[in-house]
Amino acid sequence: MLVVTSVAEELERRIDELRAAVRKAVTAGERERANALRAELRKTERQWEDALDELAEPPVTTVPRQAGPLLPLREQVHQALTLLGAPAAPKLIIAVHEAFHVGEMVPARLTSLRRDEERSFRSAPHARPYYLCSALSADLLAPARGLLAVSTWAMTTRVIGPLSPRVDFLTSAIRLSEYLSRIPEPGPAARRLLWRFAANIPGAAANTDAMTPAAVAEAADAELQIHQDTDRSHREAAAKRAREQLDDVEQLFGSRLRSISATGS
Amino acid sequence: MTAISSYARARAVVAGRAFSIATRRHVHLSDTPLVFVPLAMAGEASAPLAAMIGTQPDKPTLLLVPQPRNRDLRFGFAASLADIVLDYVHSCSQRVEISANEQVFLDAPQLLVPNAAGVGFVKLLGRSTRYRRTTGPYPVPPQVPLLGRWLTHLSERSEFAGSSALLAMTSALGMHWATGQSALEDANLAALLGWIDPPDGVTGPDAALAAEDPLIWPPAGPSTDPAFDNEILAPAIRAWTDAATDSPKRHRALNTLERALRGQLEPTWQLMWRAIDVLRRLPAADSVDTRWTTDRRDFSRYHQYVTDGGLPQARRDGAVAAARKLRNLEREQDLYDATRALEDPLVMANYRITGAAFQGTVVQVDRDRRVPGGKGRAVTRPLIVVSTTDPAHLAISTKVQAPTRSGQTGTIVQIDRQPDTTLVTLELSGGMTAAKVPPPGTVPEMDEHITYTSAYPESFRKVELPPPDQTPWTHGGPPKPYTPTNDDAQEVWE
Amino acid sequence: MDNITQERLNQLRGAAGAKRHNARTVAALTGNPGCVRRAVLDAAGVDKDKLARRVGFPAKFGQSQFAITRGNSFEAQVKANAFAELITLLRDTLGLQIGEVGQTDLEQVGGNTSQEIRHTRSRQKLTGAMTNGESTFFDHPLLTLDVGGNTVYLEPDLVAFHHEGVFHVVEIKSFAVIDDQADGAKVAAAAIQSAVYVLALRRLLGDDKVSHEVVLVCPKDFSNKPVATKIDVRKQLIVLEHQLTRLARIETLVDALPPGLSLDLDNSADDLFKALSEIEARYAPDCIAKCEMAFFCRNEARGCTAALGISVREELGGVETVAEALGLADGTLVASDDQAEAASMLRATADIYASAAAA
Repeated sequence: MLVVTSVAEELERRIDELRAAVRKAVTAGERERANALRAELRKTERQWEDALDELAEPPVTTVPRQAGPLLPLREQVHQALTLLGAPAAPKLIIAVHEAFHVGEMVPARLTSLRRDEERSFRSAPHARPYYLCSALSADLLAPARGLLAVSTWAMTTRVIGPLSPRVDFLTSAIRLSEYLSRIPEPGPAARRLLWRFAANIPGAAANTDAMTPAAVAEAADAELQIHQDTDRSHREAAAKRAREQLDDVEQLFGSRLRSISATGS
Repeated sequence: MTAISSYARARAVVAGRAFSIATRRHVHLSDTPLVFVPLAMAGEASAPLAAMIGTQPDKPTLLLVPQPRNRDLRFGFAASLADIVLDYVHSCSQRVEISANEQVFLDAPQLLVPNAAGVGFVKLLGRSTRYRRTTGPYPVPPQVPLLGRWLTHLSERSEFAGSSALLAMTSALGMHWATGQSALEDANLAALLGWIDPPDGVTGPDAALAAEDPLIWPPAGPSTDPAFDNEILAPAIRAWTDAATDSPKRHRALNTLERALRGQLEPTWQLMWRAIDVLRRLPAADSVDTRWTTDRRDFSRYHQYVTDGGLPQARRDGAVAAARKLRNLEREQDLYDATRALEDPLVMANYRITGAAFQGTVVQVDRDRRVPGGKGRAVTRPLIVVSTTDPAHLAISTKVQAPTRSGQTGTIVQIDRQPDTTLVTLELSGGMTAAKVPPPGTVPEMDEHITYTSAYPESFRKVELPPPDQTPWTHGGPPKPYTPTNDDAQEVWE
Repeated sequence: MDNITQERLNQLRGAAGAKRHNARTVAALTGNPGCVRRAVLDAAGVDKDKLARRVGFPAKFGQSQFAITRGNSFEAQVKANAFAELITLLRDTLGLQIGEVGQTDLEQVGGNTSQEIRHTRSRQKLTGAMTNGESTFFDHPLLTLDVGGNTVYLEPDLVAFHHEGVFHVVEIKSFAVIDDQADGAKVAAAAIQSAVYVLALRRLLGDDKVSHEVVLVCPKDFSNKPVATKIDVRKQLIVLEHQLTRLARIETLVDALPPGLSLDLDNSADDLFKALSEIEARYAPDCIAKCEMAFFCRNEARGCTAALGISVREELGGVETVAEALGLADGTLVASDDQAEAASMLRATADIYASAAAA
């Protein structure tokens, strides 16, 4: 049953008015006025939410979302990356986490994670057993866009050459398959995740029903063989330069200030 | 059909109001049409956002999808829409007549949408729902695939020029009036009606200008106004999504969404009924009823097919079938244009301007002229001369017919172009019995005002009928090949 | 473009910074080549949106965030996981070999997104592609094109390098391909936009190194599953090249402008209105969908047959104004020699309309 107060209704009316006014301003191209109105709108919306919260509402009982101990975000990310065994984008990390654990991972919190880890490292280098860090682009040794890695990994694993994204994709597919065959009941989310890999590896699986982790791993490995040597030589060369030219912070979080170019590129 | 309308547009510009290009209404208007005003989500192929639908102007039903990305909510919308549409279809199947060994319903569904994009939306919605299954990985309520079949059927029907089963009101209005703006601007229903039926004291162009302000006249859809999307819709959807199920916040968010979407749909809803009224003021042409009977027949046959458990329409026509369909459609269009011309002097005017028809006065009649016939015996072939100031770009031996004298054909034997007039000599046959001397009234008289056109129904090439095993179901043959596969039901609708 | 012309254009624009072209605006140049107003405004880098508003005829463009989000999320999906879906598609569509999976990110250079730096790096990587053969996919390269003496930056979604030594432009669009058919207008727009990219790439690498076939990646039916289609853009390339050479003659257009003309947005609305009127336009109804000045030009074109659409104008004998057409039609206007045919046709039309309307 809705409990209605005139305060909330009044605020709602004001919100509708403000929204219409913003729209009018936008349509007429009055940018400054639109922005000012939007600011007032946000203020009014917050007031409205407060007003609603004060209403006598029956407590909403929700089923607790997490079963088991609640790990800090960085540990959850660490687990997911360890499973994947290669640098990965936040979307994939979240998908891995949600495939094997109850509970969600909030994307917004991941975007600031690397920055927080860098700050933490700078204030007390090597104080923690691991850090969530960047992967470095092979040619400029700058942080590769959108990738997270683990500091305890070898440098060669944390540099990205031209073939590395695909190589890491195949590597992760293999590790995911192996993990899936080890756990007793993978569940539909885990299989869906594996399918996202299998669907894009030649010969891995005809369809979702026929998919088996073993076949996926085999197909991934077959393609991996084709790229692996070239990729390794790129990565080893880049890792060597990184160790020689970058300091501790830069080796983990990438060089931004100077452009280090590889010979001949 | 543009010679007259272009001139009429010029007249409209000067007059500040629309000019007629038809003296009759050439589309059927049902007593209870189903008016449908859909709104689609920006950036998606036929993702429904909301719709207003109903058969009476004061009783619209508002349907909406609070979170268009939620598949269950989309199918919920489709199910609710299906209930309304199927109910309406059912209501059209209540009364039956027997005609030429066929059971034909006395009514047929007529779906009215604001514009051509609305017809496109109906087609896409039909396509996205007709293969759904009630079982399997993504089950839907049973009325959803049925809705899809009917919407697809109606949109296929709407491709035939003479059909009134599914009409875009902008097209229907545009067939009868020319505005002082461009065809592109005519696609805006509010602007179009502004020219045709402006409010008291307002000129056509001013009414049309007001119609372009989305804050006064929201777009007729399916596209929404981007400023509405960004400032009003997006926050409302977000509020709904963020609120917990069944919480007061969610109820409020739903109310907000309803109010906002109703505000976008209501003005167009009113416009639709106003457009219907405007069209109704025109007296119907004679053949409107005949064509509606074709629509009724088609409805009856499809109804039977569906009731018998027929398969949904195939994804695409094969190349041969597509080519054949195109020829059929072209022929339908030609027939429709010619038939309208026979019943409507303003439509006939188009043919007169291009020279395919001419109007004039009979200045000479040789009514009992006899010539040798095919079998050696003499036949009566009267000769008349018509004096006209029309361009008359016709070749000798072209066959023509007069709307006032169907059943009688004239063959042009001579054209004599003089400074002030053109004299067309015609040899007539048919429509005068077999008598040696044609009975009075069967042949045009001296000083009679008469129109002759080379575009009459029988003048069009016969369309080759397809071989029996490929006869479309509309003519009693087997249905188009369609093999249901597992993929169809699994076809994602994201 | 010579310096004098550039100076004049800068003066014309006034204090504001030059508005840069992008692929869409370059593509739009092909739509209305005869419009001097548009050519001059674009060459001068005037903000047409602001200008239209200043003179009292704001444009009604705007993009729904839902469309933007949908477009972004589809592109992100197709490129996710090391271009997993794209690789699967392009292996098939372009016949890439299994080893061709190398990727180069050109959207930023070590965190730096400045256009000059990105462009330099894009040039480097693309021209080097053939010799070092490392990369097959170049993500968001930044290209340039000379448009009437201005350098325009262009950013295709992806460029793919094939082992046979040919580059393909790949564009990711979020309109659907349903039963192998897509919205004709949207495909046409994508084709011409892609042709702009092909042109820019050819200027950099050579005509024979860039294919006239672009790949369009779109969602299939009602899902998010992508499907790739090859599109031949040779026709669009011809039209574009033609338009760009015409643009190069901007000197002549600018030369013909009255001296001291100013479109500085700080001027009064009246002055701007007058100044705009000094630059000839060529309004047609489809300007409304393509140019921010459309409503201003439409208002100016009131009473002209062009405002009714090109086919209507033709049917009215190609006469310029409605008043003139009707005057010739009812005989109140005497036809000039070259109007004789049109006049007789219009007279016949008026007579026939009158007789039919009276019936």
